[in-house]
Amino acid sequence: MLAHILQNLPQVLIDGLTLGVVYAVVAIGYTMVYGILELINFAHGDVFMTGAFIGAIVLFLLMGMGFLSAMPALIVFLIVIVIAAIATGMLGVGIERVAYRPLRRKNAPKLIALITSIGISFVLEDAVRFIAELKTGNYIVTAPSMFNHKFNVDVHSVIPFFNNATFQASFLLVLIVTVVMLVSLDLFVNKTKWGMAMRAVAQDRDTASLMTINVNRVISVTFFIGSALGGATGVLFMIQYGTIDPYIGFILGIKAFTAAVLGGIGNIRGAMFGGVMLGLLEMFAAANLSVITHGAMGAEYKDVFAFIILILVLIFKPEGLFGKAVVEKV
Amino acid sequence: MNILEVKNLTKQFGGLTATSNINMNVEKNSITAVIGPNGAGKTTFFNMITAVYKPTSGDILLNGKSLIGLKPHQVSHFGITRTFQNIRLFNDMTVLENVMVGMHQNLKAHWVGTLLQLPHIRKMEEAAKVDAYDILKYVGLEDYVNENAGNLAYGAQRRLEIGRAMAAKPKILLLDEPAAGMNPKETERLTNLIYDLRSKLNVTIILIEHDMKLVMKISDFIYVLDHGELIASGKPDEIRNNTRVIEAYLGKGAVAND
Amino acid sequence: MTTLSALFEKLAQSKKNQIILFVAYVVLTGAGLFLLPDSTIAFLLLLFSILILYYLNVNLRAKWITGIVILAAIVPFIASHSDSYQTYMEVGTLVGIYCAMALGLNIVVGFAGLLDLGFIAFFAVGAYSYAIFASGQASKFMPFGHYPLPGDTFWLFIIVGAIVAAIFGILLGVPVLRVRGDYLAIVTLGFGEIIRILLNNMDHPINITNGSMGIASIAPPNFFGISIGSSSQFYYIAFGIFLVVIYVVRKLENSKLGRSWKAVRDNEIAAQAMGIPLVKTKLAAFAIGASFSGMMGVIFAAKQMFVDATSFTYLESTMVLVMVILGGMGSVPGVILGAAVVIILRTQVLTNISNWLSTMSSNYGISIPPALSPEKMQLLIFGLLLIIFALYRTQGLIPHKNRKVDVELLKKESAEAARAREKATSGGAKS
Repeated sequence: MLAHILQNLPQVLIDGLTLGVVYAVVAIGYTMVYGILELINFAHGDVFMTGAFIGAIVLFLLMGMGFLSAMPALIVFLIVIVIAAIATGMLGVGIERVAYRPLRRKNAPKLIALITSIGISFVLEDAVRFIAELKTGNYIVTAPSMFNHKFNVDVHSVIPFFNNATFQASFLLVLIVTVVMLVSLDLFVNKTKWGMAMRAVAQDRDTASLMTINVNRVISVTFFIGSALGGATGVLFMIQYGTIDPYIGFILGIKAFTAAVLGGIGNIRGAMFGGVMLGLLEMFAAANLSVITHGAMGAEYKDVFAFIILILVLIFKPEGLFGKAVVEKV
Repeated sequence: MNILEVKNLTKQFGGLTATSNINMNVEKNSITAVIGPNGAGKTTFFNMITAVYKPTSGDILLNGKSLIGLKPHQVSHFGITRTFQNIRLFNDMTVLENVMVGMHQNLKAHWVGTLLQLPHIRKMEEAAKVDAYDILKYVGLEDYVNENAGNLAYGAQRRLEIGRAMAAKPKILLLDEPAAGMNPKETERLTNLIYDLRSKLNVTIILIEHDMKLVMKISDFIYVLDHGELIASGKPDEIRNNTRVIEAYLGKGAVAND
Repeated sequence: MTTLSALFEKLAQSKKNQIILFVAYVVLTGAGLFLLPDSTIAFLLLLFSILILYYLNVNLRAKWITGIVILAAIVPFIASHSDSYQTYMEVGTLVGIYCAMALGLNIVVGFAGLLDLGFIAFFAVGAYSYAIFASGQASKFMPFGHYPLPGDTFWLFIIVGAIVAAIFGILLGVPVLRVRGDYLAIVTLGFGEIIRILLNNMDHPINITNGSMGIASIAPPNFFGISIGSSSQFYYIAFGIFLVVIYVVRKLENSKLGRSWKAVRDNEIAAQAMGIPLVKTKLAAFAIGASFSGMMGVIFAAKQMFVDATSFTYLESTMVLVMVILGGMGSVPGVILGAAVVIILRTQVLTNISNWLSTMSSNYGISIPPALSPEKMQLLIFGLLLIIFALYRTQGLIPHKNRKVDVELLKKESAEAARAREKATSGGAKS
C-alpha cells in the first residue's frame, strides 16, 4: 500500500498543486469579502465560472478572427485573461452595488445577505447557461486546446521509489500566473495606500469612515480585485482542464471557501496556503482513497473528504490555522 | 452574609489584561455599585460573572459554590441574571413574550406536553401570561403588551430589560448602566424601581453606572475599577473623598486644585 | 394581496356579502374545472380560494372547516371529472409534501434563525429508509428478515422516517451548531452534499443504497387491503400529514420552546443570560424540522416507487428555502403559500408556458430557441425571486405577525389573582 502511495506521489504533487493554486486564488476572493463585510459571498464561485466562460468567448472570437494562428499563443492568452479579469471585476462591483449595498444601508440581518448571494449565484449560473446554450446549443463548452505540450518528469531514474510524472505546458502557465497574482496582491494589500485602506475597513468600518476613508469605494475595490482574480482563475481553469460548464463554480466555490476557512478567514496569505493544502489533500485522496480503504471508497469520495475537512476545521479551529480567535463584544 | 464572593479574578485577552486580581464581597440584599472610567473592565467583570467570558484565573462563589466552568444559561439557573449596556432585547418578539422568556427557567413545560395539550401546561402558560403582565405593570409597560420590543422608546427598552431579568426571579441582578440615556424623570423612576426590587423582591443588586448622583444615592457599597484593577472600595461617603478615585476620574493634579 | 383586500373591502363591507362572494367564487371556479376541456387555470383558481378564505372576515374555526372541506372534498371530487384528474392530484400531493417540508425548514430558518442549506438531506433520509426496506434492497445487506416488507408497514415507516431524520438532525447538529451563525449555512450545505454523495456511492463495499442505479419497485402502501398507487390516493395521505404538521407548528410556535427559538434568533447572548441553553434549543429546531422532512420523504418514496440521489440535490434544498423566503420567514400561512406558489410554478405554470411557446413556434413559425424554454429557466426565476424578496420584501408575501394577547382579559385575570393573594395573606393573618 505504502509503495503504491509513494509511487504516485510525484503525479499527485503536480495535480494537487495545479488544483491547489486555483483554490488559493478563488479562496482569496472569499476571504477578502469576508474580511471586510463578514459575508459569505456565495456568488463568488459563479464569478469564477463566469470568468471561464468570458475567457472562452473571447478566445473563440479571437480564433474566428484568425488571431490564434497569427499571434503567439502566449499573447492571445494574455489578452484573454486580462479581458476576462476586467469583465468579472466589473461584474463583482455590480453585484455588490445591486445586491449587498442596499442591505448594508438598511442594516439587514446577515441571513438576508446570504440569501441574496445565493440568488445571485443562481442567476449567474442560469444566465451563463442560457447564453452558452443559445450560441452553441450545448451548455458544456470545450475550449480550444492551448499549451497542451506534455512534459515528462523523470523522477524514477533519480529516486526509484517514485513513478514518473507528466504535466502539460498549461500547468506551468497556471503556476506562474497564479504566483504572479498572489505576489502582486500581497504587495498591493501590504504596501499601497488602497491596501492599507482595505485593512483599515476590515478592522473597523466605522472608525475607518471617520478617518476620511470612503468605505463604499474601498468595498467596491475589494470586490473588483477579488472578482477579477476569480475570473482570471476561471480562464486558467478552462485552459488547464479543457471543458467548462455553468455549474463548475458551485462545488469549486465551496472548496475554495473551505480553503479560506482553513487558512483563517480574512487572512489572505492563509487563504493561499489553505488552497494549496486543500488541493494537495484532495488529489492525494483521489489517488489513494481506494487503496487505503481496500476499494471500499473510491475517488468519488474526494468531495466528501473536502467537506469533512471544512466541518472539522470549523468545529475545532474556527479561526483557521493562521487566524486569531475573535471574541464577540457584549 | 455574603451572597457573592469574587476572588483574584483576572481576565486576559491575548496580551491585554482586562481585569486583574479583583476581589469583591457582596452582601445579601444589598445594592452594590461598580464604577470606574470607560475601559476600566467593568463590563468584562460582569461578563465573567455571567460566564460570557471565562476568567483567566480566580474564582467566583455564589453562596460558597463556584460558578467557574458553567455555561451562561447555567449561571442564570443558579439565580444570576443581568441587563446589558447595549440593550439586548428580543426585538421581533412582543413585550409580553420578552418577559415570558425571562420566566422560562421557572416554567416547566415540555414541548411534548404542549403538543398533547396537557391541561396543566395550558394552565401554566395562562398563569405565566398573567405574571408577565404583572411584571410589565411593575416596570410601567402595561400599555405596550402586544408591541414589538424593537419598537419601544429607549427608556422603555431599558425598563423592559429589567422586567425581563426580574421575571427570572434572580437572587442577584446585574444592571449594566441602567440609567444610560435616561432623562432625570426616567432616572428617578428607575431609582424607585431598584429600591422596590430590593425591598419587595429581596434581590441583591450589582450595578455598573456612570451617573454618580444615582450611584451615591442608592448604593450601600461601591467598588471602583481603573485599568482593570480595583483601586478603592467602601461606603459612598468614603469613595466620594478618596483621592485615588478622584485621580482616576479627573487625572492627576485634580486633587490639589480641589 | 393589498389590491385584493381593497377590492373586497369595496365589494363586501358586511360579513354576509363576503361569504356569498366567496361561495360564488368557489362555485364558479369549480364549474370551470368541471366544464372546461383544459381546466388548469380553473383548477389553480379553485386552489386560490384557500388564500381568499384566509383573508375573509369570519371566525377561525369556520375558516379551518371550510378550508378542509374544500381541499379534502370539493377539489378532489370536481377534479375527478376532469381528464387531468391524476395530474391535478399529483400537484396537490406535491404541494402537501413541500408545504410540510417548508414548515419544517421554517422552524429552523424562520423561528430559530439558522440558515440550513442542506435541508433536503433529511427528506432523502426519510425516502431511503422506506425505499430500502420496502423493496428487495434490504435483503442485499440485512442478515435477517424478509424483504420487501409489505405495504402495511408504510404507516409505521412514516413515524420511522420522522425519527430517523430527527436522529440525523441531531447527529448533524451536535457538532455543527457550535459553529458561528454564518458558517452554519456552508456547513449544512456541505452536509447535504455528503449525504447525496454517500447515497450515490453506497453500493460498495456493502450495497445499501444501490448507488447511482437508485432503488426501484418500492412496495405501494397498503390501507386495510387496498393498495395505494394513484396520486389521488396519495393526496389524502399528504393532506393528512400536512394537517398534523400545521397543528404541531402552530402549537409549538406559541409555546415555551417556540419562544426560546425566537429568543435565540433575536439575540443569542441575551437568550443565554435568560437561562436558555443554546445548543439544546437549536438542536430541537433541527430535529423537529428534520422530522417533518423525513415523514414526507417516506411518502415521496412510496409515491414515486423509485428513489435515487438526483432528487436530493442542493437545488432542491434551496427550493425549499425559496418557499420560506417567498412566503415570509416565520409566518406559517406565508410559508404554506410560498410552497404552493413554488410547486405550482415549477410543475404547472412553467411547463404550460413552455408547451405553449413550442406550439407557437411550430404553428406560426416563430422560432423560440429551446434555451429560452421557461422550464429550463428555473434557476434564473427562483434566483431572481430570492434577490427581489430579500432586497425589497424581506418579510415575504404574508408577513409574520406575533400573536397578540387579549390585554383586557389579562387585566381582569391579574386583578383576580391579586385579590386571591390578598385574601390568602389576610386569611393567613387571622388564623
